[in-house]
Amino acid sequence: MDAPAIRIVGLSKRYGGLLAVDNLDLEVSNGEVFGFLGLNGAGKTTTIRVLLDLIRPSAGKAFVLGEDCQSNGLRVRAQVGYLPGEIRFYGDMTGTETLDLLARLGRQSVAPHYRGQLLERMELSSADLRRRIREYSTGMKRKLGIVQAFQTDPALLILDEPTEGLDPLMQESFYQILYDAQRRGRTVFMSSHVLSEVERVCHRIGLIRKGTLALLSPVEEVRKLAARRVRVFFEREVDRIPARFPDGYEIVEIQPQCWTVRARGALGPLIDALAGLPVRDLEVEKPRLEDVLISYYREGTP
Amino acid sequence: MRSAFFLLSHSMKRVRSLVLTMSFLVAGFQILLTLVAKSIEKANAFEEMSHVVPDFLRQLMGPSFVALMSFRGIVCVGYFHIAVMGSLVGLMIALATEPAAEIESGFTDLVLSRPLARHWVITRTLALILLCTGFSVFLMMLGTWAGLYWLAPKGAEWPAPGLIRSLALNLGLLMLCWGGVTAAVSAACRRRSVAGSVASLLTLAAYLLDYLARVWEPAQSVAWLSPFRYYSPLDRILGAQIPGRHLWVLVSVAVAGFALAYIVFARRDL
Repeated sequence: MDAPAIRIVGLSKRYGGLLAVDNLDLEVSNGEVFGFLGLNGAGKTTTIRVLLDLIRPSAGKAFVLGEDCQSNGLRVRAQVGYLPGEIRFYGDMTGTETLDLLARLGRQSVAPHYRGQLLERMELSSADLRRRIREYSTGMKRKLGIVQAFQTDPALLILDEPTEGLDPLMQESFYQILYDAQRRGRTVFMSSHVLSEVERVCHRIGLIRKGTLALLSPVEEVRKLAARRVRVFFEREVDRIPARFPDGYEIVEIQPQCWTVRARGALGPLIDALAGLPVRDLEVEKPRLEDVLISYYREGTP
Repeated sequence: MRSAFFLLSHSMKRVRSLVLTMSFLVAGFQILLTLVAKSIEKANAFEEMSHVVPDFLRQLMGPSFVALMSFRGIVCVGYFHIAVMGSLVGLMIALATEPAAEIESGFTDLVLSRPLARHWVITRTLALILLCTGFSVFLMMLGTWAGLYWLAPKGAEWPAPGLIRSLALNLGLLMLCWGGVTAAVSAACRRRSVAGSVASLLTLAAYLLDYLARVWEPAQSVAWLSPFRYYSPLDRILGAQIPGRHLWVLVSVAVAGFALAYIVFARRDL
């Protein structure tokens, strides 16, 4: 497959006076786990719904595995597994009936062994599946939603807030399912608010803000943009603060025997600046994706 | 096609209780009417009954009043009784608002994220309406015949089979007509309650317009707008043929409604 898993070109979607997505360009490679981030109303779900041809773009095009999502929607959707953000099944149907109906509506077959494996990982027993969905908790509905999205083992998985409502153990099981799918070469396009989750499972992230792509980068690169926090502990109280700190360093907190420094880039210049001071220890915190992304959410740059 | 069949069978499973209940109720109503007609016939009370009815009502109904005051007339009342018409048109509204209900519930997202063309959602509704109309009208006819076989007194004049069939056909087409109108409304709505309310208000307005035109001459100029204008069971009971044009109007409204539903649903954002 030469075509990228997802290609979005100049996509815009307008709802009356509101521009939900504004000239979005994006490409997701095959086999990639892509995190699509943004605040509520940023345009994530609108973009996902265009990919599934549930809504029609005002301008631009979207392609999945080389097929136009609008003109070849059926071929696109035959290769996609979708987990909606707000999943609502018919309450009077059982879990099994729901999974069977949704499997039959697709053109791909469901391998009973694989479905069994998914159900086992999501801890949905036969007894659970015989119950009507109105008796399910939110978490159980989410688990059933995950199974229905994965059960045909599609080439592309589009997951909207996949772990919302799952307990930590189930989140762990979901990550395992995701790793397995990715190992088999499946592409995952997931939107999420949980930054630690994105940091853990995604290769690349795209951050959408007010309908435009504010950031598109590998997770590792984004982490590099983050400022590290370095805590400097002294043998005794230090009242002499260096007149000038090197560029990219900033003292954010001063205590008699401990300074907290925000550092960007290599730590060598900081160590030089501390020369001559009675330094006892240095504690360096790993940079967090959240620190960068939150600043992007707020003003568009870190 | 296979997927659409599964979608249809899923819908049929969901509505089976409603359709069965409604169909058996109208069939039961036909049997009840035969029982009523039998008791009046036995008591030879049709003439007494006609004296009880006020003059203005007799004049309003014209010759159809005489036709109604008979065993045959009472048995046929079910085909144009307001409760029966209301229930069956209500059933159509319930069935035809399924697309809006599925959008509201989010089930459409799951269904149409599969390789299923949008038009199958409307085709499913059309098939469901055709099947349920056929079934409920058939059961109503069955109720009429069952009532006559079991309960009709000797010597009573039965309605002719052709009369029952044509009344059922006319009623069935009226149901399809409202099914089509509601499907068009439903295809444009996000909520079942909105689609159902709009369709119900349209039905009520059309019924009142037709009724008004019968008693108030100025309203006759716009009465053609009401589909109920093209449902004339009393004329048929009097022996007149149902005008073919009337049947075609009802079919055309149904077809136009579904055509609009296909177009709107194919173009809209879900």
